[in-house]
Amino acid sequence: MRKVNGARDIAIVGVHATRQQKKSGRTVVSMMMESIRGALDDAGIPLSEVDGYISYIFPAGNGRGFDDGAIAEQFGHPIAMTAQTSGAKAVLLAGAAIRAGIAKVVIIPAAGAQSLAGDMATYTRPTFEFTEWTGSMTPAQYGIMARRHMHEFGTTIEQMAEIAANSHYNASINPQAVRFGDDVQTVERILNGRMIADPLTQPMCSLVNDGASCIVVTSAERAQDCRHPPVWVLGGAAETHGNSYFEAPSLRMLGTRQLMIDGFARAGVRHDDIDIVMCYDHFAHGPIVQFETLGFCEPGEGGAYVPDAIRLDGVHPSSMDGGNLAYSHNMIPYNFKQIEVVNQFRNVVEDLCPGWREGVHTYDRAICRKVRDPKLSVGCGPLTDARHAFTILAKD
Amino acid sequence: MTATTDIPLPQPTELSRPFWEAANEGRLTLQRCDACGHLRWTPQILCTNCLAEPFTWVDVSGRGRLYSYTIVHRAPLAGFEIPYVLAVVELEEGPLMLTRLVDSPIENLAVEAPVEVAFTRASDEINLYTFRLAG
Repeated sequence: MRKVNGARDIAIVGVHATRQQKKSGRTVVSMMMESIRGALDDAGIPLSEVDGYISYIFPAGNGRGFDDGAIAEQFGHPIAMTAQTSGAKAVLLAGAAIRAGIAKVVIIPAAGAQSLAGDMATYTRPTFEFTEWTGSMTPAQYGIMARRHMHEFGTTIEQMAEIAANSHYNASINPQAVRFGDDVQTVERILNGRMIADPLTQPMCSLVNDGASCIVVTSAERAQDCRHPPVWVLGGAAETHGNSYFEAPSLRMLGTRQLMIDGFARAGVRHDDIDIVMCYDHFAHGPIVQFETLGFCEPGEGGAYVPDAIRLDGVHPSSMDGGNLAYSHNMIPYNFKQIEVVNQFRNVVEDLCPGWREGVHTYDRAICRKVRDPKLSVGCGPLTDARHAFTILAKD
Repeated sequence: MTATTDIPLPQPTELSRPFWEAANEGRLTLQRCDACGHLRWTPQILCTNCLAEPFTWVDVSGRGRLYSYTIVHRAPLAGFEIPYVLAVVELEEGPLMLTRLVDSPIENLAVEAPVEVAFTRASDEINLYTFRLAG
């Protein structure tokens, strides 16, 4: 069998994120096209070369939707490969399609404009006969998981608050973050925040905002002529083992962690070699379950391990952009985990350092959110109670 | 649960109708696979263990333990009276069930506490399978 994982044959060559903000008044399609143009411009690849498209399908004008036919119609040329997902899982699929010769340049746009509808997301409250009547909603689902983790393993709410505080702090020095300029949420403030679904307070819950992002994936050959050095996709793993939000939330993901751990072995990478772990802080307990599932620590050890590990100078920095809690949750924020790794690799990290545009960082954590010299990183997402994926990304 | 008039009520399907008819009589029923005996929740067309199609609706005890819970202070819809307790119950027979706890003082809630089905009538057709702390 030909060994493909771990090879430097597939690369992320372009990334872009639009302004992430509350109540932008913009349409999803307008933001998405901005992100596509931005990412292709970043890569130095024209739209005419794009023959792969991976994104969740959403309603567009006149009920047509943005399905594969609508995309080909809009782009004015044939699209060889389309699929519906985002983030790490989309990057892995793009790599597989490129290796198989099905597509050459795959774009992965994601956009959402949810916040016009209110300050609570609706997409995880299915109109399902066994869910809707219970008053289930996203924070409640994850409040249930957080409490179960606390019960089974002795994880504390203070540990979860520390994880949330890391995201909020990093957003306070990222001018692109939705919560930039707001009062910084400290551990104490987070614990005393407005209770949404006990034990989760509001600062432990994802934002709801507008914005778009796009990733461009191509082959090593095509990457040679791109504007930036390639970010190699060494491998990863993905799994879906249940119907999140319809079924009872649980910690059963921990039972399938070997599927995730195998992804590191396939790529020929050891956990200790990884620098950044851009995990998925949809709710404050999320990074704990994720570090455990990925095999960075044993189930039950995450509460003690994660809060220190993910700091900017920790062993596995995470949510350097502010994460879902304080940078952006635009309905589909999975791409941001890949994009932040790429930006850190490229040394294009906007913060309060006077020289950030020139790549000059102070590493003074009062103003600087640049990680020191990352070379090998993990980018996660999606993550729910029953869906999980990650990539292993490397720079030369 | 006090007010059940303004919340979205279940719309039974062909598959789930026997469950709701039993609930209307105060019985909690689950699908049991005729081939392997596996009990499944929520209703599915095929067995989630062996993929066989034939199944029988069987009454279960209605007893279980509190797998976990949350006290919701911010309701998704105005019809839900806050605070309320959203819970996952691990049935004695195995499956996990998302439900609401009723008639249970919040100070007495604890993960792993024994619970039993309570049923809360919402309409002539719908008797909701709520749970409560077991006496």
